[in-house]
Amino acid sequence: MSDQPLQSDENGETSAFRRLLSSLGEPVLEVAQTIKGIFQVFGLTWYYMLKGRPRWKATVEQLHEVGNRSVLFITVTLGFLGMILIYQAGYQAERITGDLQMLGGLFLQLLLREFAPTITAMMIATRVATGMAAQIGSMVVTEQVDALRMCAAQPVDYLVVPRFIATTIMMVVLSIFAVLVAYSAGAMTAYFSFGLNVRTFVDMSFIGWFDVLLGLSKALAYGMAIPIVACHAGLNVFGGSEGVGRATTNAVVNASLAVVFLDFVISGLGYVILGLVT
Amino acid sequence: MIRVENISKRHEGRMVLKDVSMDIAEGANIGLIGPGGGGKSLILKIICGLVTPDSGNVFIDDIDVHSLGPTELADLRFRIGMLFQNYALFDFMNCADNIAFPLRQEGTHSEEEIAEAVHQALHDISLPDIGHLYPNELSGGMKKRVSFARAVIRRPPIVFYDDPTAGLDPVTSSKIFILLRKIQTELGVTSVTISHDIGGIKEICDRFVLLDQGKIIFEGDRDEIEASEIPIVKKFWHGFSDDELNV
Repeated sequence: MSDQPLQSDENGETSAFRRLLSSLGEPVLEVAQTIKGIFQVFGLTWYYMLKGRPRWKATVEQLHEVGNRSVLFITVTLGFLGMILIYQAGYQAERITGDLQMLGGLFLQLLLREFAPTITAMMIATRVATGMAAQIGSMVVTEQVDALRMCAAQPVDYLVVPRFIATTIMMVVLSIFAVLVAYSAGAMTAYFSFGLNVRTFVDMSFIGWFDVLLGLSKALAYGMAIPIVACHAGLNVFGGSEGVGRATTNAVVNASLAVVFLDFVISGLGYVILGLVT
Repeated sequence: MIRVENISKRHEGRMVLKDVSMDIAEGANIGLIGPGGGGKSLILKIICGLVTPDSGNVFIDDIDVHSLGPTELADLRFRIGMLFQNYALFDFMNCADNIAFPLRQEGTHSEEEIAEAVHQALHDISLPDIGHLYPNELSGGMKKRVSFARAVIRRPPIVFYDDPTAGLDPVTSSKIFILLRKIQTELGVTSVTISHDIGGIKEICDRFVLLDQGKIIFEGDRDEIEASEIPIVKKFWHGFSDDELNV
Protein backbone atom coordinates (compact mmCIF):
# COMPACT_ATOMS: atom_id res chain seq x y z
CA MET A 1 0.00 0.00 0.00
CA SER A 2 1.14 3.50 -0.72
CA ASP A 3 1.84 5.65 2.30
CA GLN A 4 0.10 8.56 0.59
CA PRO A 5 -3.37 9.30 1.94
CA LEU A 6 -6.28 9.04 -0.45
CA GLN A 7 -6.83 12.27 -2.36
CA SER A 8 -9.94 14.17 -1.49
CA ASP A 9 -12.42 15.62 -3.96
CA GLU A 10 -13.51 19.26 -4.13
CA ASN A 11 -15.72 18.89 -1.04
CA GLY A 12 -12.78 17.57 0.94
CA GLU A 13 -14.24 14.09 1.08
CA THR A 14 -12.66 10.95 -0.25
CA SER A 15 -14.87 9.64 -3.01
CA ALA A 16 -16.69 6.38 -2.42
CA PHE A 17 -15.19 5.04 -5.64
CA ARG A 18 -11.67 5.66 -4.41
CA ARG A 19 -12.48 4.03 -1.08
CA LEU A 20 -13.91 1.05 -2.91
CA LEU A 21 -10.81 0.79 -5.10
CA SER A 22 -8.61 1.00 -2.05
CA SER A 23 -10.56 -1.66 -0.16
CA LEU A 24 -10.35 -3.96 -3.19
CA GLY A 25 -6.75 -3.15 -4.00
CA GLU A 26 -5.22 -3.76 -0.59
CA PRO A 27 -6.10 -7.48 -0.31
CA VAL A 28 -5.23 -8.02 -3.99
CA LEU A 29 -1.78 -6.47 -3.45
CA GLU A 30 -1.35 -8.53 -0.29
CA VAL A 31 -2.16 -11.77 -2.11
CA ALA A 32 0.16 -10.81 -5.00
CA GLN A 33 2.93 -10.03 -2.50
CA THR A 34 2.43 -13.36 -0.73
CA ILE A 35 2.51 -15.34 -3.98
CA LYS A 36 5.65 -13.48 -5.10
CA GLY A 37 7.28 -14.16 -1.72
CA ILE A 38 6.39 -17.86 -1.86
CA PHE A 39 7.96 -18.20 -5.31
CA GLN A 40 11.08 -16.35 -4.11
CA VAL A 41 11.47 -18.79 -1.21
CA PHE A 42 10.86 -21.70 -3.62
CA GLY A 43 13.57 -20.44 -5.99
CA LEU A 44 16.06 -19.82 -3.18
CA THR A 45 15.34 -23.26 -1.72
CA TRP A 46 16.27 -24.94 -5.00
CA TYR A 47 19.34 -22.71 -5.31
CA TYR A 48 20.67 -23.62 -1.85
CA MET A 49 19.65 -27.26 -2.25
CA LEU A 50 21.81 -27.53 -5.34
CA LYS A 51 24.63 -25.15 -4.35
CA GLY A 52 24.63 -25.21 -0.54
CA ARG A 53 26.26 -27.49 1.97
CA PRO A 54 24.17 -30.64 2.69
CA ARG A 55 22.76 -30.66 6.24
CA TRP A 56 22.19 -34.35 6.87
CA LYS A 57 21.58 -34.10 10.62
CA ALA A 58 18.93 -31.40 10.27
CA THR A 59 17.31 -33.26 7.36
CA VAL A 60 17.14 -36.55 9.31
CA GLU A 61 15.61 -34.68 12.27
CA GLN A 62 12.98 -33.21 9.97
CA LEU A 63 12.32 -36.61 8.36
CA HIS A 64 11.57 -37.89 11.85
CA GLU A 65 9.44 -34.83 12.71
CA VAL A 66 7.41 -34.87 9.48
CA GLY A 67 7.30 -38.63 8.88
CA ASN A 68 7.54 -40.71 12.03
CA ARG A 69 5.56 -38.31 14.18
CA SER A 70 2.74 -38.16 11.63
CA VAL A 71 2.27 -41.93 11.31
CA LEU A 72 -0.29 -42.27 14.11
CA PHE A 73 -2.23 -39.21 12.94
CA ILE A 74 -2.35 -40.48 9.35
CA THR A 75 -3.25 -44.02 10.47
CA VAL A 76 -6.22 -42.79 12.49
CA THR A 77 -7.57 -40.29 9.94
CA LEU A 78 -7.06 -42.41 6.83
CA GLY A 79 -8.21 -45.56 8.64
CA PHE A 80 -11.51 -43.96 9.63
CA LEU A 81 -11.87 -42.38 6.20
CA GLY A 82 -11.41 -45.80 4.57
CA MET A 83 -14.06 -47.33 6.80
CA ILE A 84 -16.58 -44.51 6.28
CA LEU A 85 -16.12 -44.38 2.50
CA ILE A 86 -16.50 -48.14 2.05
CA TYR A 87 -19.50 -48.29 4.35
CA GLN A 88 -21.26 -45.44 2.52
CA ALA A 89 -20.33 -46.69 -0.95
CA GLY A 90 -21.22 -50.29 -0.09
CA TYR A 91 -24.55 -49.29 1.41
CA GLN A 92 -25.50 -47.32 -1.71
CA ALA A 93 -24.21 -49.98 -4.12
CA GLU A 94 -26.11 -52.71 -2.29
CA ARG A 95 -29.33 -50.67 -2.48
CA ILE A 96 -28.99 -49.84 -6.17
CA THR A 97 -27.38 -52.88 -7.80
CA GLY A 98 -26.74 -55.36 -4.99
CA ASP A 99 -23.35 -56.07 -6.58
CA LEU A 100 -20.27 -55.21 -4.50
CA GLN A 101 -17.67 -56.94 -6.65
CA MET A 102 -16.18 -53.73 -8.04
CA LEU A 103 -16.17 -51.92 -4.69
CA GLY A 104 -12.54 -52.72 -3.79
CA GLY A 105 -11.13 -52.04 -7.24
CA LEU A 106 -12.83 -48.67 -7.66
CA PHE A 107 -11.99 -47.67 -4.09
CA LEU A 108 -8.29 -48.41 -4.70
CA GLN A 109 -8.36 -46.29 -7.85
CA LEU A 110 -10.01 -43.43 -5.98
CA LEU A 111 -7.47 -43.71 -3.16
CA LEU A 112 -4.50 -43.68 -5.50
CA ARG A 113 -5.72 -40.85 -7.68
CA GLU A 114 -7.22 -38.58 -5.07
CA PHE A 115 -7.88 -39.42 -1.46
CA ALA A 116 -4.58 -40.81 -0.20
CA PRO A 117 -2.28 -37.97 -1.36
CA THR A 118 -4.79 -35.13 -0.89
CA ILE A 119 -6.16 -36.08 2.54
CA THR A 120 -2.62 -36.90 3.73
CA ALA A 121 -1.45 -33.50 2.50
CA MET A 122 -4.31 -31.78 4.34
CA MET A 123 -3.31 -33.61 7.50
CA ILE A 124 0.36 -32.68 7.02
CA ALA A 125 -0.64 -29.07 6.35
CA THR A 126 -2.50 -29.07 9.67
CA ARG A 127 0.14 -30.79 11.76
CA VAL A 128 3.45 -29.94 10.15
CA ALA A 129 2.93 -26.57 8.43
CA THR A 130 1.69 -24.93 11.63
CA GLY A 131 4.70 -26.29 13.52
CA MET A 132 7.12 -25.01 10.88
CA ALA A 133 5.57 -21.55 10.77
CA ALA A 134 5.47 -21.26 14.55
CA GLN A 135 9.04 -22.46 14.99
CA ILE A 136 10.53 -20.19 12.33
CA GLY A 137 8.25 -17.31 13.34
CA SER A 138 9.45 -17.55 16.95
CA MET A 139 13.03 -17.49 15.68
CA VAL A 140 12.27 -14.31 13.73
CA VAL A 141 10.66 -12.63 16.75
CA THR A 142 13.54 -13.53 19.08
CA GLU A 143 16.10 -12.29 16.51
CA GLN A 144 17.51 -15.81 16.00
CA VAL A 145 17.03 -15.46 12.25
CA ASP A 146 18.97 -12.18 12.32
CA ALA A 147 21.65 -13.97 14.37
CA LEU A 148 21.81 -16.69 11.69
CA ARG A 149 22.40 -14.00 9.06
CA MET A 150 25.05 -12.34 11.21
CA CYS A 151 26.82 -15.70 11.48
CA ALA A 152 26.89 -15.71 7.65
CA ALA A 153 24.23 -18.44 7.41
CA GLN A 154 21.33 -18.03 5.00
CA PRO A 155 17.98 -18.66 6.72
CA VAL A 156 16.52 -20.35 3.63
CA ASP A 157 19.55 -22.64 3.37
CA TYR A 158 19.64 -23.40 7.07
CA LEU A 159 15.94 -23.56 7.95
CA VAL A 160 13.93 -24.19 4.79
CA VAL A 161 16.04 -26.66 2.78
CA PRO A 162 16.03 -29.50 5.39
CA ARG A 163 12.27 -29.07 5.89
CA PHE A 164 11.67 -29.01 2.13
CA ILE A 165 13.65 -32.20 1.46
CA ALA A 166 12.11 -34.02 4.44
CA THR A 167 8.51 -33.07 3.65
CA THR A 168 8.87 -33.91 -0.06
CA ILE A 169 10.23 -37.38 0.74
CA MET A 170 7.82 -38.05 3.58
CA MET A 171 4.77 -36.87 1.66
CA VAL A 172 5.38 -39.65 -0.89
CA VAL A 173 6.07 -42.24 1.81
CA LEU A 174 3.05 -41.22 3.90
CA SER A 175 0.76 -41.20 0.84
CA ILE A 176 1.73 -44.80 0.04
CA PHE A 177 1.23 -45.67 3.69
CA ALA A 178 -2.15 -43.90 3.61
CA VAL A 179 -3.27 -46.07 0.66
CA LEU A 180 -2.37 -49.22 2.61
CA VAL A 181 -4.12 -48.05 5.80
CA ALA A 182 -7.30 -46.80 4.13
CA TYR A 183 -7.53 -49.85 1.85
CA SER A 184 -7.01 -52.28 4.74
CA ALA A 185 -9.60 -50.47 6.84
CA GLY A 186 -11.97 -50.50 3.83
CA ALA A 187 -11.42 -54.23 3.30
CA MET A 188 -12.24 -54.98 6.93
CA THR A 189 -15.36 -52.80 6.79
CA ALA A 190 -16.51 -54.51 3.58
CA TYR A 191 -16.00 -57.92 5.18
CA PHE A 192 -17.70 -57.19 8.49
CA SER A 193 -20.50 -54.94 7.17
CA PHE A 194 -21.37 -56.61 3.88
CA GLY A 195 -19.71 -60.01 4.13
CA LEU A 196 -17.53 -59.17 1.12
CA ASN A 197 -14.60 -61.55 0.83
CA VAL A 198 -11.18 -59.88 1.13
CA ARG A 199 -9.99 -61.71 -2.03
CA THR A 200 -12.88 -60.17 -3.93
CA PHE A 201 -12.23 -56.73 -2.42
CA VAL A 202 -8.52 -56.73 -3.31
CA ASP A 203 -8.92 -56.12 -7.02
CA MET A 204 -6.09 -54.57 -9.03
CA SER A 205 -7.78 -54.81 -12.42
CA PHE A 206 -8.80 -51.14 -12.44
CA ILE A 207 -5.32 -49.86 -11.61
CA GLY A 208 -3.00 -48.64 -14.35
CA TRP A 209 0.22 -46.66 -14.58
CA PHE A 210 -1.82 -43.46 -14.85
CA ASP A 211 -3.35 -43.89 -11.38
CA VAL A 212 0.01 -44.52 -9.74
CA LEU A 213 1.70 -41.68 -11.61
CA LEU A 214 -1.09 -39.22 -10.85
CA GLY A 215 -1.03 -40.07 -7.13
CA LEU A 216 2.75 -39.83 -6.90
CA SER A 217 2.80 -36.53 -8.82
CA LYS A 218 0.31 -35.06 -6.40
CA ALA A 219 2.21 -36.32 -3.36
CA LEU A 220 5.44 -34.81 -4.72
CA ALA A 221 3.82 -31.46 -5.52
CA TYR A 222 2.11 -31.23 -2.12
CA GLY A 223 5.34 -32.23 -0.41
CA MET A 224 7.12 -29.31 -2.05
CA ALA A 225 4.34 -26.77 -1.59
CA ILE A 226 3.53 -27.30 2.09
CA PRO A 227 6.99 -26.53 3.59
CA ILE A 228 7.54 -23.58 1.25
CA VAL A 229 4.21 -21.98 2.16
CA ALA A 230 4.74 -22.69 5.88
CA CYS A 231 8.34 -21.44 5.99
CA HIS A 232 7.40 -18.32 4.00
CA ALA A 233 4.72 -17.54 6.61
CA GLY A 234 7.26 -18.08 9.41
CA LEU A 235 9.99 -15.98 7.83
CA ASN A 236 7.60 -13.06 7.31
CA VAL A 237 6.45 -12.77 10.90
CA PHE A 238 6.29 -9.31 12.41
CA GLY A 239 4.79 -7.99 15.60
CA GLY A 240 5.83 -10.44 18.33
CA SER A 241 3.78 -13.38 19.59
CA GLU A 242 0.65 -12.03 17.91
CA GLY A 243 2.54 -12.20 14.62
CA VAL A 244 3.53 -15.81 15.28
CA GLY A 245 -0.13 -16.70 15.80
CA ARG A 246 -1.03 -14.95 12.56
CA ALA A 247 1.73 -16.81 10.74
CA THR A 248 0.52 -20.24 11.89
CA THR A 249 -2.99 -19.42 10.72
CA ASN A 250 -1.65 -18.16 7.38
CA ALA A 251 0.49 -21.29 7.05
CA VAL A 252 -2.37 -23.74 7.45
CA VAL A 253 -4.82 -21.72 5.32
CA ASN A 254 -2.34 -21.08 2.50
CA ALA A 255 -0.97 -24.63 2.57
CA SER A 256 -4.51 -26.06 2.36
CA LEU A 257 -5.35 -23.70 -0.50
CA ALA A 258 -2.11 -24.69 -2.26
CA VAL A 259 -3.06 -28.38 -1.91
CA VAL A 260 -6.55 -27.82 -3.34
CA PHE A 261 -5.20 -25.69 -6.19
CA LEU A 262 -2.45 -28.19 -7.06
CA ASP A 263 -4.98 -31.02 -6.88
CA PHE A 264 -7.15 -29.23 -9.43
CA VAL A 265 -4.23 -28.40 -11.75
CA ILE A 266 -2.53 -31.83 -11.61
CA SER A 267 -5.84 -33.69 -12.02
CA GLY A 268 -6.72 -31.50 -15.01
CA LEU A 269 -3.31 -31.91 -16.60
CA GLY A 270 -3.41 -35.63 -15.88
CA TYR A 271 -6.68 -36.15 -17.70
CA VAL A 272 -5.49 -34.03 -20.63
CA ILE A 273 -2.30 -36.15 -20.89
CA LEU A 274 -4.35 -39.35 -20.50
CA GLY A 275 -6.60 -38.19 -23.33
CA LEU A 276 -3.57 -37.59 -25.56
CA VAL A 277 -1.90 -40.94 -24.96
CA THR A 278 -5.01 -43.12 -25.21
CA MET B 1 35.83 2.75 8.54
CA ILE B 2 32.04 2.78 8.57
CA ARG B 3 30.18 5.60 6.81
CA VAL B 4 26.45 6.09 7.21
CA GLU B 5 25.06 8.53 4.64
CA ASN B 6 21.61 10.13 4.84
CA ILE B 7 19.76 7.06 6.07
CA SER B 8 15.98 7.33 6.32
CA LYS B 9 13.63 4.54 7.26
CA ARG B 10 9.88 4.42 7.69
CA HIS B 11 8.39 1.60 9.75
CA GLU B 12 4.65 0.92 10.15
CA GLY B 13 3.79 4.39 8.88
CA ARG B 14 6.20 6.18 11.23
CA MET B 15 9.46 7.83 10.19
CA VAL B 16 11.92 6.03 12.49
CA LEU B 17 15.17 7.40 11.01
CA LYS B 18 15.37 10.79 9.35
CA ASP B 19 18.38 11.52 7.18
CA VAL B 20 20.91 10.09 9.63
CA SER B 21 24.62 10.40 8.77
CA MET B 22 27.67 9.45 10.81
CA ASP B 23 31.23 8.25 10.42
CA ILE B 24 32.79 5.57 12.60
CA ALA B 25 36.57 5.57 12.34
CA GLU B 26 38.59 2.36 12.50
CA GLY B 27 39.24 1.45 16.13
CA ALA B 28 36.64 3.91 17.44
CA ASN B 29 34.32 2.85 20.25
CA ILE B 30 31.03 4.64 19.79
CA GLY B 31 28.34 4.83 22.46
CA LEU B 32 24.90 5.16 20.87
CA ILE B 33 22.49 6.55 23.44
CA GLY B 34 19.05 8.09 23.51
CA PRO B 35 15.46 7.48 24.53
CA GLY B 36 13.80 4.17 23.65
CA GLY B 37 12.19 4.01 20.21
CA GLY B 38 14.63 6.53 18.79
CA GLY B 39 15.94 4.16 16.11
CA LYS B 40 19.19 3.02 17.75
CA SER B 41 18.78 -0.74 17.19
CA LEU B 42 17.41 -0.10 13.71
CA ILE B 43 20.51 1.82 12.65
CA LEU B 44 22.74 -1.07 13.76
CA LYS B 45 20.62 -3.49 11.74
CA ILE B 46 20.83 -1.18 8.73
CA ILE B 47 24.63 -1.00 9.03
CA CYS B 48 24.78 -4.84 9.10
CA GLY B 49 22.48 -5.13 6.10
CA LEU B 50 19.75 -6.88 8.12
CA VAL B 51 17.29 -4.09 7.30
CA THR B 52 17.20 -2.14 4.04
CA PRO B 53 16.81 1.65 4.41
CA ASP B 54 14.25 3.59 2.37
CA SER B 55 17.02 5.96 1.29
CA GLY B 56 20.70 6.52 1.97
CA ASN B 57 23.80 4.33 1.93
CA VAL B 58 26.06 2.48 4.32
CA PHE B 59 29.72 1.89 3.46
CA ILE B 60 32.01 -0.45 5.34
CA ASP B 61 35.57 0.08 4.09
CA ASP B 62 34.10 1.72 0.97
CA ILE B 63 31.88 -1.29 0.24
CA ASP B 64 28.24 -0.28 -0.26
CA VAL B 65 26.52 -2.75 2.10
CA HIS B 66 23.09 -2.54 0.50
CA SER B 67 24.33 -3.15 -3.01
CA LEU B 68 25.75 -6.57 -2.08
CA GLY B 69 24.16 -9.88 -2.99
CA PRO B 70 23.48 -12.54 -0.31
CA THR B 71 26.86 -14.27 -0.77
CA GLU B 72 28.91 -11.04 -0.64
CA LEU B 73 26.88 -9.86 2.34
CA ALA B 74 27.59 -13.14 4.14
CA ASP B 75 31.32 -12.66 3.44
CA LEU B 76 31.14 -9.13 4.85
CA ARG B 77 29.38 -10.39 7.96
CA PHE B 78 32.32 -12.68 8.72
CA ARG B 79 34.00 -9.41 9.77
CA ILE B 80 31.16 -8.25 12.03
CA GLY B 81 30.11 -9.58 15.43
CA MET B 82 26.78 -8.67 16.96
CA LEU B 83 25.44 -9.05 20.46
CA PHE B 84 21.65 -8.90 20.23
CA GLN B 85 19.40 -7.21 22.75
CA ASN B 86 17.36 -10.39 23.32
CA TYR B 87 20.41 -12.71 23.28
CA ALA B 88 19.23 -14.41 20.05
CA LEU B 89 20.81 -17.70 21.10
CA PHE B 90 19.66 -20.62 18.96
CA ASP B 91 17.32 -22.47 21.29
CA PHE B 92 17.77 -25.81 19.47
CA MET B 93 21.54 -25.86 20.13
CA ASN B 94 23.44 -26.14 23.38
CA CYS B 95 25.76 -23.31 24.44
CA ALA B 96 28.90 -24.90 23.00
CA ASP B 97 27.24 -25.35 19.61
CA ASN B 98 25.88 -21.78 19.75
CA ILE B 99 29.37 -20.40 20.31
CA ALA B 100 30.88 -22.73 17.71
CA PHE B 101 28.28 -21.86 15.06
CA PRO B 102 30.08 -18.87 13.44
CA LEU B 103 33.29 -20.90 13.15
CA ARG B 104 31.46 -23.88 11.63
CA GLN B 105 29.86 -21.51 9.12
CA GLU B 106 33.30 -20.37 7.99
CA GLY B 107 34.06 -23.98 7.12
CA THR B 108 37.82 -23.49 7.46
CA HIS B 109 38.37 -24.89 10.96
CA SER B 110 38.73 -28.48 12.09
CA GLU B 111 36.44 -29.77 14.86
CA GLU B 112 39.46 -29.91 17.19
CA GLU B 113 40.23 -26.24 16.56
CA ILE B 114 36.57 -25.33 17.09
CA ALA B 115 36.39 -27.32 20.34
CA GLU B 116 39.54 -25.57 21.59
CA ALA B 117 38.19 -22.11 20.64
CA VAL B 118 34.85 -22.82 22.35
CA HIS B 119 36.63 -24.09 25.48
CA GLN B 120 38.71 -20.88 25.58
CA ALA B 121 35.64 -18.68 24.95
CA LEU B 122 33.70 -20.33 27.80
CA HIS B 123 36.71 -19.83 30.04
CA ASP B 124 36.94 -16.14 28.99
CA ILE B 125 33.32 -15.50 29.95
CA SER B 126 33.87 -17.33 33.28
CA LEU B 127 31.32 -20.03 32.44
CA PRO B 128 33.57 -23.02 31.74
CA ASP B 129 31.04 -25.73 32.63
CA ILE B 130 27.90 -24.70 30.77
CA GLY B 131 28.78 -25.88 27.26
CA HIS B 132 26.30 -28.76 27.40
CA LEU B 133 23.40 -26.62 28.68
CA TYR B 134 20.68 -25.21 26.44
CA PRO B 135 19.81 -21.47 26.46
CA ASN B 136 16.55 -22.05 28.36
CA GLU B 137 18.59 -23.47 31.25
CA LEU B 138 20.60 -20.24 31.69
CA SER B 139 19.96 -16.98 33.57
CA GLY B 140 19.74 -13.67 31.67
CA GLY B 141 23.31 -12.71 32.55
CA MET B 142 24.66 -16.10 31.46
CA LYS B 143 22.77 -15.84 28.17
CA LYS B 144 24.30 -12.41 27.54
CA ARG B 145 27.78 -13.77 28.16
CA VAL B 146 27.24 -16.77 25.88
CA SER B 147 25.82 -14.46 23.23
CA PHE B 148 28.87 -12.23 23.67
CA ALA B 149 31.19 -15.24 23.26
CA ARG B 150 29.39 -16.16 20.01
CA ALA B 151 29.65 -12.57 18.73
CA VAL B 152 33.43 -12.41 19.18
CA ILE B 153 34.52 -16.04 18.63
CA ARG B 154 35.68 -15.19 15.10
CA ARG B 155 37.68 -12.22 16.45
CA PRO B 156 35.84 -9.82 14.11
CA PRO B 157 37.32 -6.33 13.62
CA ILE B 158 33.84 -4.75 14.02
CA VAL B 159 31.49 -5.54 16.91
CA PHE B 160 28.02 -4.15 17.64
CA TYR B 161 26.49 -4.47 21.10
CA ASP B 162 22.75 -3.85 21.28
CA ASP B 163 21.97 -3.03 24.89
CA PRO B 164 24.38 -5.57 26.42
CA THR B 165 23.18 -5.00 29.99
CA ALA B 166 19.42 -4.68 29.45
CA GLY B 167 17.54 -6.31 32.31
CA LEU B 168 20.65 -7.35 34.22
CA ASP B 169 21.52 -6.60 37.84
CA PRO B 170 24.34 -4.10 38.53
CA VAL B 171 26.91 -6.80 39.36
CA THR B 172 26.25 -8.76 36.16
CA SER B 173 26.18 -5.50 34.17
CA SER B 174 29.59 -4.64 35.57
CA LYS B 175 30.91 -8.08 34.53
CA ILE B 176 29.56 -7.55 31.00
CA PHE B 177 31.24 -4.13 30.67
CA ILE B 178 34.53 -5.65 31.92
CA LEU B 179 34.21 -8.26 29.17
CA LEU B 180 33.52 -5.59 26.54
CA ARG B 181 36.50 -3.51 27.67
CA LYS B 182 38.72 -6.61 27.63
CA ILE B 183 37.79 -7.48 24.04
CA GLN B 184 38.30 -3.87 22.94
CA THR B 185 41.74 -3.75 24.56
CA GLU B 186 42.83 -7.18 23.32
CA LEU B 187 41.52 -7.01 19.77
CA GLY B 188 41.39 -3.27 19.11
CA VAL B 189 37.95 -3.66 17.57
CA THR B 190 35.76 -0.94 16.11
CA SER B 191 32.61 -1.03 18.18
CA VAL B 192 29.19 0.56 18.52
CA THR B 193 27.46 0.03 21.86
CA ILE B 194 23.82 0.86 22.51
CA SER B 195 23.13 1.19 26.21
CA HIS B 196 21.00 3.03 28.72
CA ASP B 197 23.64 2.34 31.37
CA ILE B 198 25.47 5.67 31.13
CA GLY B 199 27.90 4.73 33.92
CA GLY B 200 28.96 1.61 32.07
CA ILE B 201 29.05 3.07 28.57
CA LYS B 202 31.28 5.95 29.80
CA GLU B 203 33.89 3.34 30.67
CA ILE B 204 34.09 1.61 27.31
CA CYS B 205 33.33 4.27 24.69
CA ASP B 206 35.37 7.22 23.50
CA ARG B 207 32.73 8.95 21.38
CA PHE B 208 29.01 9.34 21.93
CA VAL B 209 26.07 9.81 19.62
CA LEU B 210 22.64 10.73 20.94
CA LEU B 211 19.75 9.71 18.73
CA ASP B 212 16.26 11.01 19.45
CA GLN B 213 13.14 10.60 17.29
CA GLY B 214 15.21 9.38 14.39
CA LYS B 215 17.68 12.27 14.33
CA ILE B 216 21.21 12.67 15.62
CA ILE B 217 20.99 15.37 18.28
CA PHE B 218 24.56 15.21 19.49
CA GLU B 219 27.89 13.70 18.44
CA GLY B 220 31.13 14.22 20.35
CA ASP B 221 33.68 12.87 22.82
CA ARG B 222 33.28 12.52 26.56
CA ASP B 223 34.35 16.06 27.43
CA GLU B 224 32.00 17.51 24.83
CA ILE B 225 29.00 15.52 26.02
CA GLU B 226 29.76 16.40 29.65
CA ALA B 227 29.81 20.09 28.70
CA SER B 228 26.85 19.99 26.32
CA GLU B 229 24.06 22.47 27.02
CA ILE B 230 21.53 20.72 24.76
CA PRO B 231 18.61 19.98 27.12
CA ILE B 232 17.97 16.39 25.97
CA VAL B 233 21.67 15.57 26.12
CA LYS B 234 21.90 16.98 29.67
CA LYS B 235 18.78 15.11 30.69
CA PHE B 236 19.93 11.83 29.24
CA TRP B 237 23.59 12.00 30.23
CA HIS B 238 22.97 13.14 33.79
CA GLY B 239 19.83 11.06 34.18
CA PHE B 240 17.27 13.60 35.33
CA SER B 241 13.90 14.76 34.09
CA ASP B 242 11.99 17.98 34.71
CA ASP B 243 8.83 16.57 33.15
CA GLU B 244 5.94 16.13 35.50
CA LEU B 245 4.67 12.61 35.93
CA ASN B 246 0.92 12.17 35.92
CA VAL B 247 0.66 9.33 38.40
